[in-house]
Amino acid sequence: MRHLLRAMPTLLKVSVARNVAYRAEMTIWILTATMPLIMLALWNAVAASGPVAGFGQPEIARYFVATLVVRQITGAWVMWELSHLIRTGGMSAHLLRPMHPLWTYAVWVATAIPFRLVILTPIILAVGTWRPDLFVWPAPQQFALFVVSVTMAWITSFLVQCAFGLASFWVDKSDGMFESWNAVWGLLSGYVAPLAFFPAAWRPVLDALPFRGMLGLPVELLGGFLRPEDAARPLAIQAAWMVVSFALVMTLWRRGLVRNGAFGS
Amino acid sequence: MIHVRDLKKIYKVPVKQPGVWASVRSLFDREYREVRAVDGITFDIAAGERVGFLGPNGAGKTTTLKMMTGLLHPTSGEVSVSGFTPKHRDDAFLRTVTLVMGQKQQLLWDLPPTETFALHRALYDLDLRAWKESLDELVELLGLAAFMDQPARNLSLGQRMRCELAAALLHRPKILFLDEPTIGLDVEAQVIVRAFVSAYHARHGATLLLTSHDMDDVAAMVDRVLLIDQGVIRFDGSLPELARRFGSGRRLVVRDAHADFSSIGLTRAGETWEVTVDASDINARLSAVLARSPAAEVTVSDPPLEDVLRKAFGESRPAAAP
Repeated sequence: MRHLLRAMPTLLKVSVARNVAYRAEMTIWILTATMPLIMLALWNAVAASGPVAGFGQPEIARYFVATLVVRQITGAWVMWELSHLIRTGGMSAHLLRPMHPLWTYAVWVATAIPFRLVILTPIILAVGTWRPDLFVWPAPQQFALFVVSVTMAWITSFLVQCAFGLASFWVDKSDGMFESWNAVWGLLSGYVAPLAFFPAAWRPVLDALPFRGMLGLPVELLGGFLRPEDAARPLAIQAAWMVVSFALVMTLWRRGLVRNGAFGS
Repeated sequence: MIHVRDLKKIYKVPVKQPGVWASVRSLFDREYREVRAVDGITFDIAAGERVGFLGPNGAGKTTTLKMMTGLLHPTSGEVSVSGFTPKHRDDAFLRTVTLVMGQKQQLLWDLPPTETFALHRALYDLDLRAWKESLDELVELLGLAAFMDQPARNLSLGQRMRCELAAALLHRPKILFLDEPTIGLDVEAQVIVRAFVSAYHARHGATLLLTSHDMDDVAAMVDRVLLIDQGVIRFDGSLPELARRFGSGRRLVVRDAHADFSSIGLTRAGETWEVTVDASDINARLSAVLARSPAAEVTVSDPPLEDVLRKAFGESRPAAAP
């Protein structure tokens, strides 16, 4: 760990340089991930005739702007990187270095967050100018819980992508599996609709699954939809899934290395 | 330094017959074929040795190198490198070795190699002074100063390969595994890489294990040869021993633009006359040459390494079962 801390300034510097080098690609990536704005327009139209599950038009707008922000903070691309490295033999160079390759990827993905937020700012400002009355700043305690929750959401999302990437040790095209996961995630995480829109009987199941902790929970905290006193249980579930994801990735890594064919080179 | 005992790597490769029905059947009943990439090899390499690991494509050279660097887990057998078991990938082991794979890049593609060098300093936890000293030496030996601040994608293959070598050696490894380090390079770049590897070995006394299909690499960079074919070691010895064992004789080269030696069996090759004869016949042939041209410049040597290896690979294989 001390080695990692000593390496951190260089890892950060090189990662920022890489993000600057890929700035055009990243801008396009961010601008294509604006599904929450489409959902905002859709649900805004639905809510014109009256609130949906307690969400009027202001709440809809607030929810999906928060979704846009959380989605950008927790976005990663490590699944495609790992899958490519494993399939082409590029992983060999990483395995020869005395530091776990996932650390370098974690730092690279994390240093993209400021770039993403800078690109996102004009979009949020545009929405704010359109309807300034929509925004309600979360209370300090709510914001502190949001920071904790979005950090765990980032870690879990990163680890889940790692798990699918590492699946390439066993299957040729793990990105297809990840797309299927993504479809389920979109539906059950609160990405396309707040979880409050689902039938009440579904909620215990939805709350127990990992998807809410990967997006919906930090969105609810940022948007002021979840009171701090009600946050303990969902945060505990979120933390549990983060630990499970970590254990899964470590297991896949260990077993994957035994299976590694070091294809190509 | 390196001890390998009865090392095996056996892959199970899926086999699929052509056709739709075979595809459907393979979903339920997949067939596998066993490929014995490395089939029980044993050898030792002492500290500071320069060893060439030679063999035809698919002989098991790269697979062995990968097992010695911890990239592949052996099916059975033992490997010990500098006291470490490579598959455990201890940090101390990874700081001791390097593997250079021809044209496989560890350079950050869109950034200058200087950024990769800085990253490697962090990854290998090198102190600033040691890193700078090592980098200065590599920049000098490999002639990197003119281009190492340009993005890697803008460099020529030869320039990139030199930077790859620098990145791989910044931590001053004691053991170098070089897998076809000159593949695809032009002649000038090949010469630079060979000279560099020899200089690095001379300065740091590093142990060197090289695979290559380029016999100039072998002649310039190794003293001992391990011949591997079909996953089995067929020969282990020095280059002269290899030539004696598999070379069919001695090579006589005569430089004389005016005389004609065709009548005594020599053939013209540009400005020289050449013949490869049995060792017992070399004195008689030499006398015949000097009788025709007492002032001729004559060289007697082992036959070309390519010929020796071609013969070695042919002879070393066991006869096919009837």
